[in-house]
Amino acid sequence: MLAVADLVKVYPGPVAALQGISLEVPKGMFGLLGPNGAGKSTFMRILAGLLEPTSGSVRLDGVDVLGNPLRLWSQLGYLPQEFGFYPHLSGQSMLEYLLKLKGVDAPAGRKALAAQLLERVNLSFAARRRLKSYSGGMRQRLGIAQAIAGDPRLIIVDEPTAGLDPEERLRLYRILAELAEDRTVLLSTHIVEDVAVLCPRFAVIRNGKLLAVTSPSEARAGLEGTIYEGQVGAGDLDELRATRRVTQAILVEGRNRVRIHEQDGSPPAGFTCVAPTLEDAYLLLMREAQAREGTAARAAPPSAVAAGQGTP
Amino acid sequence: MSLARMLMVAREDLKELRGRPLLWIWLFILGLTAFGLSHGEVRISSGDAAVGGTKAWITSEFAQGQTFAMVGLLLYAFFVSVLAGMAVIRDDELKVGEVLHATPLLPGEYVWGKYLATLVGSFAVLAAHLAVTMLIYQLLPLDNADELRGPFALAHYVRPALIFAVPLILVVSGAAFLVGTWSRRPLLVFVLPVALLLFGAMFLWNWSPSWLDPRINRLLMLIEPAGFRWLNETWLKVDQGVDFYNKSPIPLDSGFIVSRGILGVLALSCVAIAQRHFQRTLRGVHAVRAAGRARQAPGAARLARLRWPAGLMRPRARRPASDTAGPGTGYVAGSLRALRMQSHAPGLITGIVDVARFELKELGSSPGLYLFVPIILLQILGTSLLALGAFDTPVLITSGTAAVRSMNTIALLVAFLLLFYTVESLQREWSTGLAPIYHTTAARTASMLFGKAVANTLVGVVIVFATFLGCAVAILIQGKVAVQPGPFLLVWGLLLIPTFLVWSSFVGAVFALTRNRYTAYGIGLGALALTGYLQTTGRMSWAGNWDLWGTLLWSDMGPLQLDRPALAWNRVLALALTVLFTAITVRAFPRREEDATRIVHRIAPGRAARSALRLLPYAVVPLVAIVVLVVQVRSGFQGPAVRKKEHDYWKQNLATWKDAPLPAVRFAEIDLQLEPRRHWFKVSGAYHVWNHRDALLRSVPLTGGLHWESVSWTLDGADYTPEDRTHLYVFTPPRPLAHGDSLTIGFSYEGRVPRGATRNGGGLPEFILPSGVVLTSFRPTFVPLLGYDEEVGIEEKKNRYEPKVYPDDFYQAVLEPAFGSQIPMRTRIRISGPAEYAYNSVGTLTHEEVSGGRRTVVWESDHPVRFFNVVAGRWKTRVGNGTRICYDPRHAYNVEEMSRALDAARLYYSRWFRPYPWQELKLSEFPALAFYAQGFPTNITFSEGIGFLTKSDPRTELAFLVTAHESAHQWWGNLLTPGKGPGGDILSEGMSHFSTLLLMQQVLGERERIEMCKRIEERYGDRRQADSERPLVKIDGSRPGDVTVTYDKGGWVMWMLDRLMGRDAMLAGLQEFMTRFSDGPDYPVLQDLVATLRPHAPDPAAYDAFVQQWFFQVVVPEYRITQAGRTKLAAHDAGAATQGPLWEVTARVKNRGTGAMPVQIAATRGERFPKPAAARARQEPAPSAPPAQGAQPGSGEQPVPATLPASGVSTAGVGAAPGAPPAEPPKAARIGLTTSGSPAEPFAEQRATVTLGPGEEQEIVLRCAFEPQQLVVDPDALVLQLKRKSAVHRF
Repeated sequence: MLAVADLVKVYPGPVAALQGISLEVPKGMFGLLGPNGAGKSTFMRILAGLLEPTSGSVRLDGVDVLGNPLRLWSQLGYLPQEFGFYPHLSGQSMLEYLLKLKGVDAPAGRKALAAQLLERVNLSFAARRRLKSYSGGMRQRLGIAQAIAGDPRLIIVDEPTAGLDPEERLRLYRILAELAEDRTVLLSTHIVEDVAVLCPRFAVIRNGKLLAVTSPSEARAGLEGTIYEGQVGAGDLDELRATRRVTQAILVEGRNRVRIHEQDGSPPAGFTCVAPTLEDAYLLLMREAQAREGTAARAAPPSAVAAGQGTP
Repeated sequence: MSLARMLMVAREDLKELRGRPLLWIWLFILGLTAFGLSHGEVRISSGDAAVGGTKAWITSEFAQGQTFAMVGLLLYAFFVSVLAGMAVIRDDELKVGEVLHATPLLPGEYVWGKYLATLVGSFAVLAAHLAVTMLIYQLLPLDNADELRGPFALAHYVRPALIFAVPLILVVSGAAFLVGTWSRRPLLVFVLPVALLLFGAMFLWNWSPSWLDPRINRLLMLIEPAGFRWLNETWLKVDQGVDFYNKSPIPLDSGFIVSRGILGVLALSCVAIAQRHFQRTLRGVHAVRAAGRARQAPGAARLARLRWPAGLMRPRARRPASDTAGPGTGYVAGSLRALRMQSHAPGLITGIVDVARFELKELGSSPGLYLFVPIILLQILGTSLLALGAFDTPVLITSGTAAVRSMNTIALLVAFLLLFYTVESLQREWSTGLAPIYHTTAARTASMLFGKAVANTLVGVVIVFATFLGCAVAILIQGKVAVQPGPFLLVWGLLLIPTFLVWSSFVGAVFALTRNRYTAYGIGLGALALTGYLQTTGRMSWAGNWDLWGTLLWSDMGPLQLDRPALAWNRVLALALTVLFTAITVRAFPRREEDATRIVHRIAPGRAARSALRLLPYAVVPLVAIVVLVVQVRSGFQGPAVRKKEHDYWKQNLATWKDAPLPAVRFAEIDLQLEPRRHWFKVSGAYHVWNHRDALLRSVPLTGGLHWESVSWTLDGADYTPEDRTHLYVFTPPRPLAHGDSLTIGFSYEGRVPRGATRNGGGLPEFILPSGVVLTSFRPTFVPLLGYDEEVGIEEKKNRYEPKVYPDDFYQAVLEPAFGSQIPMRTRIRISGPAEYAYNSVGTLTHEEVSGGRRTVVWESDHPVRFFNVVAGRWKTRVGNGTRICYDPRHAYNVEEMSRALDAARLYYSRWFRPYPWQELKLSEFPALAFYAQGFPTNITFSEGIGFLTKSDPRTELAFLVTAHESAHQWWGNLLTPGKGPGGDILSEGMSHFSTLLLMQQVLGERERIEMCKRIEERYGDRRQADSERPLVKIDGSRPGDVTVTYDKGGWVMWMLDRLMGRDAMLAGLQEFMTRFSDGPDYPVLQDLVATLRPHAPDPAAYDAFVQQWFFQVVVPEYRITQAGRTKLAAHDAGAATQGPLWEVTARVKNRGTGAMPVQIAATRGERFPKPAAARARQEPAPSAPPAQGAQPGSGEQPVPATLPASGVSTAGVGAAPGAPPAEPPKAARIGLTTSGSPAEPFAEQRATVTLGPGEEQEIVLRCAFEPQQLVVDPDALVLQLKRKSAVHRF
């Protein structure tokens, strides 16, 4: 169990990247969803021990890991949002070195293990190639390979699917799902589908504040019978936005396929009730939060701490 | 290419530069340097050093030129390299490149914009530096501002900056920019400033041996980017006079201007190449080529690949991702559990090993290493092979001397290397983006840091090993000394490795604390600069000398015996500091980004103190080591307590005792006990003093050693307590001493030499060490000094006073001797010590016994002496003809040659000057804790670095030279002691040089004489200070440049006088001089010699003219050949008498210097002197053999030098008196011999003689029967002149 309490991070500026986040993350996959600049990466970096918070605590199975990050690192698999490797090394060499630093071994030996891990992330064919010749997706897969190496109790993956093609994304899903069976896997993403596919529970964060902690089914269930879908012309969309709560508007073959949220069951003509998606729930949550922030900003004088400016 | 976009790139870069610590550190260091130099510590060596004399201004254009050239290479090169070399690399690291290059910005605009920003930034720094320099140099209050500063002129600052700094900035920035853009490796960027430092400051600036071909010298001047070599060789090396330096702008020559232009073009070419490379690689030229190859594949195959698979038209069945296979198909080969991974946090040692192994592999693949190492090796080999000893003689290197000599260089260079490697290896994870992964691994921080440190230190070790191989090769090339790894292991292993460790850990700590690569570089460079400053200004001590720069002296006779405890504690300090810095690094290493708010809390005094307390255990050992070292230094013989005592001695006694009349010691009886292992001695003895003066002497002062303990005195056998005036003991007998009265002062004391540690290593002139003992009566080290010691308590900048000014006729009075006893005395010196040592002193050994493990010897003077010494060692002996050489068994390399010189000296000097009155002439070797040789009567002492380790070869028999010089002091110094006053020292040192010239010509031949003349002439040219130089009769050794005038000019002028008078007349005069002045009571100076020789001169008028010019004035000619040409004459022009074609050489010869001397100009072809093998074969028999036929003992007659060409080159004008009409030049060419003796390449020459006064010019015409190759002024080295190498014209 990973327990986060009252986590605050203020960057010089000052910019409040996290404004008192408390969260309990049980074993299994847990998603952290939020728009760009919500503070997800700051949160993940603090959890990974790379960034000191301004205040708050983080405990892994009851043990404070902020005071002694080394204790955390020995149990951590971490895939940061942005990272690189030594460009002149081969993938195999790089992974072997990281395995050494992590103290990861296997009966077949470290070299064989590195090869097997590369196989798991579908990089065997490039094992001997220099990393500077790797594509973004290949680098991401190597990052995943090192993150899943060993037997970490906590795995933190920050935007892991960025740069992956659909098939690699599927592969990653499966790997993470397997890992999450007996440990905590914290997945940070702004792609709702990632959470929908993988996470039994997730939290939504925005402007450094926690908006919700729920499960995809709960989130969807709350919207049951309130989501309608229909098609409108390009000229009608603005009018629709002004009068209805549009959750999504997607161009499909040149026409706008629009989903709206209607609590009172009176959709516009041509709209039919459809099953809600997690994306509907997430976007509605964002709209509401945005509206609240707008109201608060108009009501309150400018604060000394400009909230929600995102990670610098 | 859009100029606007290029400027935009430059502007953005410049904006960013303003916020970078690098810029501010650079400016800070430059400001600090300007402040440091503004006090006049570094200035042009010119001007009159005397109080009130014109000094060299620090504000002159020349002074600023020198400063900008030096600072340019030492500081600008580094910072400009970083700025330019990292310009593109930084963008890579910041990952802005791809975004930038996805815009319409062209590669050319980007590259040139970046370079422009570098240039503008560098020039802005230069402008700021100029402004600060002007402010500080002109306005900073200084005590001696009037002497140091001239009137302000903007050009004095701006012009040197333009001449020296701007081209350097251009070329360095261009080259570094190319390296950085091409390689994208930061480490390679640093190769450039290091290479410049090595080849520039350590090689090109000062490597200018006398044998260097002027054309090569010129080339080196032009390629050196800072311009310092050009400035030095062209204008500074030979002093042009302070007025010139203070007021003249730096005259530029066309070659230099063109070379600076070429540097500029080179810089722009580098940027152009960088642009081309950048453009080619920006979008992946290889990928493009591969795509091109793919396009050439058969069309059908391509179509097949492009065909849409039919299966995909159907809806895809849902299947698990694990069902896929192969690259890109999404197949997962089994579960992770199947891998059975285990993990456990790696231990400290395992982590260190893993990191170190990886880092070493990294370093192994780093091209920087393969560039740095050869550069360092070349440098070290160069310094080892080109090392110079006494009289600029090349040194024969042994393992120990090679290890110590190269230690400073290795320490400095590896420090640079470690600075770069440590910072870059710590920075690497951030630069590559690996940091978030790397730093969240389970490896301990200490493992990461130690691992990197170990790997980097191993680089140092590899360099040291490579250097060892290099030194071994150098030693093997010399072919005389065996290579021994022991000294290398001791010096580099035990002493140097801790330097690497402490420096690496310091750099690591700085990086961890500052968390910025450039700040770490700045602080690292600042630390090196501060260390250098403290060391060069003499402010360093054992407690701070972490790199042991300049502290060690090696002796094969007993390594590192002088300061062993201090050295050991110093290394303990280095190692302990390593631990402390490492602890700081481990704590502060930024593996986790700290929160700003928490940092503020942490640096609150209470918490900061608690943090510091946690580091206290690591600081205990360094603190203890520092305290121990401080105590050792302060209580040592160079510590403040001793300095105060010395100052008190000076203060209390100067006015009363400085010129007090003294009696003479008639007999010195010394009983000396020695314990070399304990540095201990005990003396009991007595001086029998005698009043040889007419006046009454009421008291007798003796100066005792400050290090003496248990001192007791007697007066005429009774216990006596003299007045103690801070170790000047005043004895007042019951009744004053009348003329002829005598008394006996007895003394007894013990002490150690040295007592305690030195301040910061270095050598000692006198010592008692297990490796050897050297004690003299010159200073109150082991015996009291009669009278007041003028050297005690004098500090150069505090109370050094100028010597007494004597009237012109002072020599007509009765002068006291310049050194030693007032009248010759007799000595009886009994020495006892461990039996394994031999003990030498002055006189003859009258008794020797070994009993109870102790040897006791008694030396008694068989002819009176004026001073005495004791030297002891564990020697081997070579007995010659009335001579003996006592040498360390490991140093037999030159003993044969030295013995030959000693025998020849005894034989010929006895003939030429006066018979040697003592029974034996000894020469003893002592450990190289001092680099001097002293010619005590019968007992010459030589440092091992002089003669014994001189690199002699058949061509340049330098061991012969130094032995001949020191042997000459038996006559010029001992038998004839100069009088006290100006012109005295020349009778000792100048006459010894002259004697050496005579002996070399006599024994070795004309070639060696010419070589020595050229060597000492060049030394004079390099070291003279035109404004300070006084006529020979006024030289008293007090001014800078006096030494070279005393030795080199003095010897040369005597040689010219010898040519003027003729050898027989000269020697007859010298013999008379020796006879008249040997026994006092009037001791002579140069005027006495001039007066004595005059009656012997064949042409008194010419003699007077010469003497007036060379002894009473400061003159030195400087010849130049201009408008030289050679023409092949038609047969009818040449006349019927000649055979074959004739050549006519025309040229104008000018004397740009002073003085008027007849000088020969020769058109030559071929090699004049045979090669060494042939020279050897035709050398004269050993000097112990009977004199050559026709030469009579005592006469100046000499056989024809053996190395002259068979036909002889006793050319026209040689030996001719000045003013006399020059003899007709020989009409026919002379033929020389080659090595084999066959006339393969005949030597031919044609000469003419001209006499040119100051500024005079004359046209010469020479007709030759051969095709001349060059025109040489003064081919026989008969006229002392400046810049002899420039007085040659090669056709």
